[in-house]
Amino acid sequence: MTVDIRDAFFDRVYEFAAKDKNVVFLSADADAFSLQKFKRDFPDRYINVGVAEQNMVTVATGLALAGKNVFIYAILPFVTMRCYEQIKFNICGMNLPVTIVGVGVGYSFEFDGPSHHGVSDVGIMRMLPEMTLCNPATPLCAASYAQQAYESSTPVCVRLDKGPLRELYSVGDTFSRGMNLVRGGTDLCIVATGREVQRSFELAEILEGKGVTVGILDVHRLKPIDSSAFLSEIAPYERIVTLEENSIIGGLGSAVAEILVDNGVFKPLKRCALPDVQCLKYGKREWLQRQYGFDTETLVTSMEEWMGLSGGTDAK
Amino acid sequence: MTPVAGNALVSHLEHRSRWVRLQVFESTVRAKKGHLGGTFSCTDLLVALYYGGIMRFNPRNPTWKERDRFLIGKGHACLALFHMWVDLGMLDHARLETYGTNGGIGGQLDLSIPGAEHNTGSLGHAIGIGAGLALAAKLDGRHTRTFAMIGDAECDEGAIWESIMFAAEHGLNNLIGIVDRNRLSVTDRVEDDRGSGKLEDKLRACKWECRVIDGHSFDAILGAFSNLDTLDKPLMIIADTVKGKGVSFMENGIKWHHSIPTAEEILVARAELGGAS
Repeated sequence: MTVDIRDAFFDRVYEFAAKDKNVVFLSADADAFSLQKFKRDFPDRYINVGVAEQNMVTVATGLALAGKNVFIYAILPFVTMRCYEQIKFNICGMNLPVTIVGVGVGYSFEFDGPSHHGVSDVGIMRMLPEMTLCNPATPLCAASYAQQAYESSTPVCVRLDKGPLRELYSVGDTFSRGMNLVRGGTDLCIVATGREVQRSFELAEILEGKGVTVGILDVHRLKPIDSSAFLSEIAPYERIVTLEENSIIGGLGSAVAEILVDNGVFKPLKRCALPDVQCLKYGKREWLQRQYGFDTETLVTSMEEWMGLSGGTDAK
Repeated sequence: MTPVAGNALVSHLEHRSRWVRLQVFESTVRAKKGHLGGTFSCTDLLVALYYGGIMRFNPRNPTWKERDRFLIGKGHACLALFHMWVDLGMLDHARLETYGTNGGIGGQLDLSIPGAEHNTGSLGHAIGIGAGLALAAKLDGRHTRTFAMIGDAECDEGAIWESIMFAAEHGLNNLIGIVDRNRLSVTDRVEDDRGSGKLEDKLRACKWECRVIDGHSFDAILGAFSNLDTLDKPLMIIADTVKGKGVSFMENGIKWHHSIPTAEEILVARAELGGAS
């Protein structure tokens, strides 16, 4: 089953808005199919603030100070980096129940250039002490974060990919730990987030063909990460790879390295992410990824080299 | 604008203003921390809001739901508010006594301070937060008003203009902005009239009602804040003020954004502010 992750999220927000008139939705001129009925049914609580993200955050601040449960929505870099000062100082400084929803993780907006790429917000959002940062990989996980955000009395940021994503979970699965093991193994654990969790299955199949047993840990909450839960999840594995369509600086790979070092766990770690370069190229998402060594083939090759595997033989 | 104040009220407000300025001055010289110039420029406006019957609030219950809200961009003028809030019984005097000490009350507002509606320190947010509060009041059907004071130099912040347009587009006639137009920033004179155009022209072009007044005349201030419940659009009161108002050698002096007076200057200033020599 594939569902657009935005619809999974916003359909749940709609349910809360239907029963709680304190739910207010602000959009900086961003849309999603599932928002149409919110607009239609609660027109006074759906406000398109226009292309003005800084004002959207300050208006959300005032609404939250008056007791409203506020969701704000725009393309990911604009709703995080463009108005970072307002988020840092107002929403986090006063620890307000505002949920920041950004669409466009990684190169989702493939033809729109670096302005639209969601590749460097994780590092700065992780630096906000009050922020809960979520990066769901599937529709059910996204819907769960809509609920967690609605119930939260503190700031939440949810990063949403664009388009349909395959469901990896079952109804009834819980997401409160911030991570779920979605595939078991013993040799290598791919610690992935967002859409890359889906690609990890493909990588796991290829590597298993070379005799490596691969587990996949979906880290869907990038902050806070429960260190003890994480360490117990990776305990069975000899090696760890992190995988994210995000800058190599400040993201999941950085967070994992911090946890390992701070806890004296010195397993071999390879961080797979986008390199620290400005992307001024335009093309299909997969093509863009290939330009920066983030395509499946290159990832497999670099993992094999790192593990000392050569040419499909089991040399681990 | 016709004066609405009786002589007794004006005289009371003038008396309160003198007292507030003196308290701000003494706290500043004692702690060697404070922003005298920009606090003195807006003191009369703040006194009018809290003592002139303009704002509805309950000093015994600072979080009363039906209260009017007061926001301030230039939070570094906090000492005037602290002293007024102590005087009104909202804030403990003992807490104010910690001003300037390690761990004590500081140079900005935050939500831990009774009376403060938001954290301050970063410029350009107060109008937007005020728009959110005003919008929430409309959604809830509450007849509360939101007052948001900003500085004229602060109006360089672009985010303010996003909020100005938003408030007008959403008909937030329960939002009242106040610009403390003292014509001085930290390092320079603010001369928007000669450059990009008059502040009042820009605001009126954005469909705000605009009232330009002498920010040190209580008759004018009270007149400008009258008839607030019949507004049909957001209101900006542009108050022409004097940075350092009340101390002759500080008035319009660029030095007095955050300078601390010398021993000789303290004596002169204290005398002018009506304090004991």
